[in-house]
Amino acid sequence: MTSSVGIVLVSHSADLALGLRGVAQQIGSDTVPVVAAGGTDDGRIGTSYDLVLEAVRQADQGAGVLVLPDLGSSVLTTRTVLDDHPRDDVRIVDAPFVEGTVAAVVTAAGGADLDTVAHAAEEARHVRKL
Amino acid sequence: MSASSDTAPHETAAPRHESTVVLPADLHARPAGKLAQAAGQFSSAVELDHDGRTVNPTGVLAVMALGATAGSTVVVRAEGADAEEAVATLAGLLATAE
Repeated sequence: MTSSVGIVLVSHSADLALGLRGVAQQIGSDTVPVVAAGGTDDGRIGTSYDLVLEAVRQADQGAGVLVLPDLGSSVLTTRTVLDDHPRDDVRIVDAPFVEGTVAAVVTAAGGADLDTVAHAAEEARHVRKL
Repeated sequence: MSASSDTAPHETAAPRHESTVVLPADLHARPAGKLAQAAGQFSSAVELDHDGRTVNPTGVLAVMALGATAGSTVVVRAEGADAEEAVATLAGLLATAE
């Protein structure tokens, strides 16, 4: 089996990122690397440059990494990390945090490439849940 | 369960298959995830019908949004080279969903 696209969840809350990781792995697959980067270095609400950087490293199996931010500084921190460490196969995606993550993990579990996984996450915005 | 294939005389139409499944359980998040992953493995175009709506089963969110509950009917349809296998696999997953 070839390696899977990795997913990084950047949230202000460590609990939120870890909880979403658990949900995504139940619906999708535990073979997709999903790494949570939630909260500050000392566990408070906020985001951490170092946690995001390390999460990208951990999620990287060689097929690329997609980073999903929740809000605000999650976006800013991720952008700073990616600007400092630019790679074509690591990208941030504008997607609903929960739905986008689930769609991305399920798509990655099927062996899809980074473009396809990113597209699945973005498309989540247009899928009504009712 | 029923399956059919087109034998249109004037076209070299791709094989089409279809199967109807009565869901033994609600089509909630986990079975939807399994279905979407399985659907992505086939080259055929696949569709899922439920209650007048048609979705592409490779989209896990769209499958969940069908809101298909236990006892309701879902039709799996595929068109393409591996249509028969696709329908058999997806119908099998739906029929054994927990």
